[in-house]
Amino acid sequence: MTETLAALATGFGVALAPLNLLWGFIGVTLGTAIGVLPGVGPALTVAMLLPLTSKLDPTGALIMFAGIYYGAMYGGSTTTILLNTPGESASIATALEGNRMAKRGRAGPALATAAIGSFVAGTIATVLLTLLAPVVVEVALKFGPTEYFALMVFAFVTVAAVLGASTVRGLSMLFLGLLFGLVGIDDQTGQMRFAFGIPELMDGIDVVVLAVGLFAVGEALYVAAYQSRTREELERLAGSLWMSREDWRRSWPAWLRATAIGFPFGTIPAGGAEIPTFLSYATEKKLSKHPEEFGNGAIEGVAGPEAANNAASTGVLVPLLTLGIPTSATAAILLAAFQGYGLQPGPLLFQTQSSLVWGLIASMYVGNVLLLILNLPLIGVWVQVLKIPRAPLYAGILLFATLGAFSLHQSVVDLVTLYVFGLLGFIMRRWGFPVAPAVIGLILGPLAESQFRRALAISQGDPSVFLSHPISATLLALTALLVVVPWIAKVMRERRTRAGRPA
Amino acid sequence: MPGRPVRRAEIVLSLGVLALGVVAAIVAFRLPEAGGYARIGPNFVPKLVAGALIAMGLWLLAEVATGGWRDAVDDDPVARGEHAFHWPAFAWVSAGLFAQMLLVQRAGFVVAAAALFFCVARGFGSTRPVRDGALGVVLGLAVYLFFVRFLNVSLPAGWLAPVLGVAGL
Repeated sequence: MTETLAALATGFGVALAPLNLLWGFIGVTLGTAIGVLPGVGPALTVAMLLPLTSKLDPTGALIMFAGIYYGAMYGGSTTTILLNTPGESASIATALEGNRMAKRGRAGPALATAAIGSFVAGTIATVLLTLLAPVVVEVALKFGPTEYFALMVFAFVTVAAVLGASTVRGLSMLFLGLLFGLVGIDDQTGQMRFAFGIPELMDGIDVVVLAVGLFAVGEALYVAAYQSRTREELERLAGSLWMSREDWRRSWPAWLRATAIGFPFGTIPAGGAEIPTFLSYATEKKLSKHPEEFGNGAIEGVAGPEAANNAASTGVLVPLLTLGIPTSATAAILLAAFQGYGLQPGPLLFQTQSSLVWGLIASMYVGNVLLLILNLPLIGVWVQVLKIPRAPLYAGILLFATLGAFSLHQSVVDLVTLYVFGLLGFIMRRWGFPVAPAVIGLILGPLAESQFRRALAISQGDPSVFLSHPISATLLALTALLVVVPWIAKVMRERRTRAGRPA
Repeated sequence: MPGRPVRRAEIVLSLGVLALGVVAAIVAFRLPEAGGYARIGPNFVPKLVAGALIAMGLWLLAEVATGGWRDAVDDDPVARGEHAFHWPAFAWVSAGLFAQMLLVQRAGFVVAAAALFFCVARGFGSTRPVRDGALGVVLGLAVYLFFVRFLNVSLPAGWLAPVLGVAGL
């Protein structure tokens, strides 16, 4: 405990150094802006910035990326409330109530409860992260390749099979991502795999090209094809931002409950913030003294999900930093950012790069304060950003997207690959294939393969090690349960409805 | 769910996943064994992934055969709150990206960026081509200068090289 506090104090020393403070400020401002802009998410922004920041000092760059990561959560709520097009899937729950509040002229309190709730949840979750991380690190130090491999399999399966609409489509994208991850030189034997003699493929598929292609090009093609001729209705920010005494009284319990729901969900590899936001929404609806208001702009329905979103997003950093396991697309790109600097998140990073890790954690306390200031008094600025018409917005997004891909190797081949991944992203969006498993598969796949081979090298080729080590066996059993139980439940349900139908 | 017509796209995409698995398997089986100590060579995980992709392709086909993909995205754009597929929009955005690929090395980054910006804005229904072109040039130039002057990343100057040279940029 005292060790943790000492480490955190050192971290604050790093985070409050003028230059790092500046990077943090740039990060949260950029994060808010891109959170506000429809069609740009944190995963895309960090991916586009990766090639530009390769020469920067890692601490500053990672503080900026973390700022973008949670800044985008704040910005996203503004868009959801005023525009009713959720910037990211985790804010769908907010859209239900927040946009209704705005339609009834209560946009101000809706934005305020979202921002203050995000601050409360973000700060509490950062405290929990501070306390929990050293504990997990302690456990993780005892992990060998066998345990890591089982943990990665668990993460793969929860992200791909358990979340999302369809198990088979999620798994298809996971294996596609794993296949992409195999392209290039095998780092254990030097064997060239899946490169088809193309020199540009020998270094492997760059995560920047894949992520920017899927997120930016795919999204632009999709929105152009299916949404560019619809009209957007922007709600006006009328009246005061201030929350009434009644608003406060109804908001704060929702914030706290949502934090309690969101953080644990973020820490287990259950992929991001979608489930906890919906759980929080359902909880608030159930507990509310004004259930009739739900669907017409109940403030708890904004306060809860927004807080849960932030708490879960912070929770996602626990497995990322302590185990090196990303459980959302953005976390996967953050992992790629670490790797770009030759750093591998995990228990050892807390020992070898202690000031970097704790500086990053400390910067999140600072960042949440900055974000509260950015998002309440300065809300008018972001409303102006929202007014940018779609045509120049998407033209600008694609300009920066192609720039990011081109600047990797100054090669047109990367632009061609980018377009191919864009078409893939379009198809995935149109027919309901999730993006996150593909990105996580590409980044985590090579790590999982090397842990797998290392584990088998230690056991002299005996595959039973994965079942004889208790932690690994438990994780694999849990993974199997996660796939089999919902499947059985579904088959039973289908059979029952079929039996109930007259023949 | 039962009774909806078979969607051609679902068949094509299911076969696509299957085909990808088959191609991956062909490549994987040609890779050398060379596992050494643990007998787990560079071909083992590729075989595993290829097999899994084939299984997913078959699973998707099985869903097609038994009433269509489960929990599929609605085929009716209006039900999704969208409009019907707009060909010109899709084509303009694609054209912008192709223009960028063709122009960036020869004509330089600024020209390519302006062409991209113009085409994409056009695709999104902008009716002000002159403004879009101008905006593209300004943005492209700003990015170019920022990269070259501040980040020391070189970008092709192309046709504008003499102009930029005279201006001392």
